[in-house]
Parts: sequence; structure tokens; C-alpha cells
Amino acid sequence: MREPSAVPRLLPAAACLLLSAALALSPAQESRAERLGNNLRCPICTGVPITESTNDISREMLRDVRGQVAAGRSDREIYAYFAARYGNFVLLDPPKEGSNLLLWGAPLAALAAGGAVLWGFLHRRRPVGEAAVMPVTEDPFDPYLAEVQRHTGQERARPSGTRDGGQA
Amino acid sequence: MTEIPSTPKTSAPAPLWRRLLPPLIAAALVAVLGAALLSPSHNATDGGPLVGKPAPQFTLTSLDGTPVSLAALKGRPVVLNFWASWCGPCREEAPLFRELSTRQSAGQGLAVVGVLFQETNEQNARDFIRDYALAYPSLRDPGIRTGINYGVAGIPETFFIDPQGVVQHVDRGGLTRERLNVGLKKIGVAGL
Repeated sequence: MREPSAVPRLLPAAACLLLSAALALSPAQESRAERLGNNLRCPICTGVPITESTNDISREMLRDVRGQVAAGRSDREIYAYFAARYGNFVLLDPPKEGSNLLLWGAPLAALAAGGAVLWGFLHRRRPVGEAAVMPVTEDPFDPYLAEVQRHTGQERARPSGTRDGGQA
Repeated sequence: MTEIPSTPKTSAPAPLWRRLLPPLIAAALVAVLGAALLSPSHNATDGGPLVGKPAPQFTLTSLDGTPVSLAALKGRPVVLNFWASWCGPCREEAPLFRELSTRQSAGQGLAVVGVLFQETNEQNARDFIRDYALAYPSLRDPGIRTGINYGVAGIPETFFIDPQGVVQHVDRGGLTRERLNVGLKKIGVAGL
């Protein structure tokens, strides 16, 4: 209570100093700024985040991020700030919403549709297929099959497990 | 020999739509690929997220030390050019800006403003201005704050701002007379 009038006067100045210097970030804020910076593309590089590039614009953008983190802006607000200026291109991991959702969802939808078609196909064909395969294996291959079975039966003395009398 | 009687059996129940489906899917894929291949070329030099939005405000000082703010230019169409002396295409488009700067007039008339982008040597910028006799202010942008606020990645980049302060057109890369005129027309200024 010694100098109650000085504090309100100094507060805006201190806030300005904090914002302009952007150095007084807590460790949590520091890691948040780092994480945000890792997802912002350096606009003049090829696929490099601003945290990994050393050019002036990346450095200034990162300083901007730190300033906004210090000002208490949310991740979404900070990403929106840069996307409004540089386009969604600036986001290395664009939000999965809007037309991006279509991009992410289309492969999953295609997989599901393909699975459904395959499931339907297998379930429709199985009874017909089994009925068709049975007589075919029995009738036309009989002479050759019998000979093969006879040969293999002689050499190995082990049946192939068919329903015919190949166990001799 | 055994396949001949079996073919009519399988082809008979296949309906027309099922036979047309594979070529239709193939055609659709080709169309989507074609559209995707052609679309990047149209947003190569112009457009951007700021088009149709209010131009970000700034108050900067020129190389002469005069403060210039966008707010003070409200009511006038503004051509805002980000440049630097080390930038080759900026040099190529400079004669056009020289010509454009003669079209400026007070009141409701055109205003041309340059903003230095990562200028490494102010003396080079002054020489550039003298060489091309650029009759408009070029502003210092410490910390690239205004550059980042306008989403500038490379230079030259030119913003065409209408009298209401809305960005109507953006063009990246060295301007040609035709491309400059496209931007000028959008802010109600007669072409060069």
C-alpha cells in the first residue's frame, strides 16, 4: 500500500514491454509457442516449419507467435490469424474440417464401400460357388486325378485328404 | 470349347448400367485429375486470402522520415507495392511504377505507396528510388510486421486497395503492363 497509484500507471507499460520483448514466456507458454511454430510453414521455404528455418521472415513470424501466446490467444485464433494472411497453405497440419474433411474422409469412405461390396459379393456367391465346384472336381479330372493320386500315394504313401478313395 | 456355352449365360443377366459403370468411373477420375492439374495454374500470380477483405492498417515512416498511414489514404484508391533493392523483378517492374506515380493526384485520386520488405541496405533503396525516379513514399517496415500482416512471402507483391479500404486484387511477381492494368481497373483507376 506504499505506492498504490504507481501500479495502475505502470501496468500498461509493463504489458507493452512484455508483448514487445516477448521473452517473458513461462515454460508452458514457451513449449506452446514451439508447438504452434512447428505447424506453421515458412512461406518462402519448401515444407519447413518456421521453427526450423533461419530466415528473417520465419524469425519474425515466430516472434509474432510468441507475442500472441503471451497475449493469451488460443491455438485456433493464432492459426486463423496466419491462415487469414497466408492461406491454409501456411498450416503444415490443416484442420480436419470443411472441404479438408472430404479429403480425409474419402479414403475411409472408399474403404468402407469397397468392404461392403466385397462382403456382399462373397455372401452372394458362396452357396452357388460351392455347388458348382463340387461336381466339377469330381467328374472331369477323375482319370488324371486318379493317376496323380496313385503316383503321390505310391511315393509318399500319404493321402491328400479328398473325399474319394485316395487312401489306398 | 467349353467356354462358348458358358459366356451367354454370364453376359445375359448383366444390366446396361453395370456395363457402363466402369468406363463412367474411369471418365470421372480423369475429369477430376484434369481439373486438379489445371487449377494450380490459375492461382499462381493473383488472388489470395486477403482479396475482398479490409486492408490491414499500418502507420510507418518513409525513408524521408514522413509518417504514412493507410487510414489517412481512405477515400483514395491505393496501390501498395512491397519491394526491396536486391529484388530483380522489382527492378523490372519499376519503370511501370514510375509511370504510375505520375498519375497520382490529391483528393480522390490514386495514391501509390511502397513498403520495403527485408531491405538490407537503405542506401541501396534510396539509389533504386533515384534511379527510377519513383515519386511516391517508400516505407520502412521494421520486424516485417506489415509484411506479415499482409501475408507477403516473396516480393514483388502488389495490393490494389479500393477507396473504401478493401483489397480488390493482389498480384505476385514482377508486374507487366497488362497485369497492372487488371488491378487498376478493379479499384476504378484507368489503365496505363
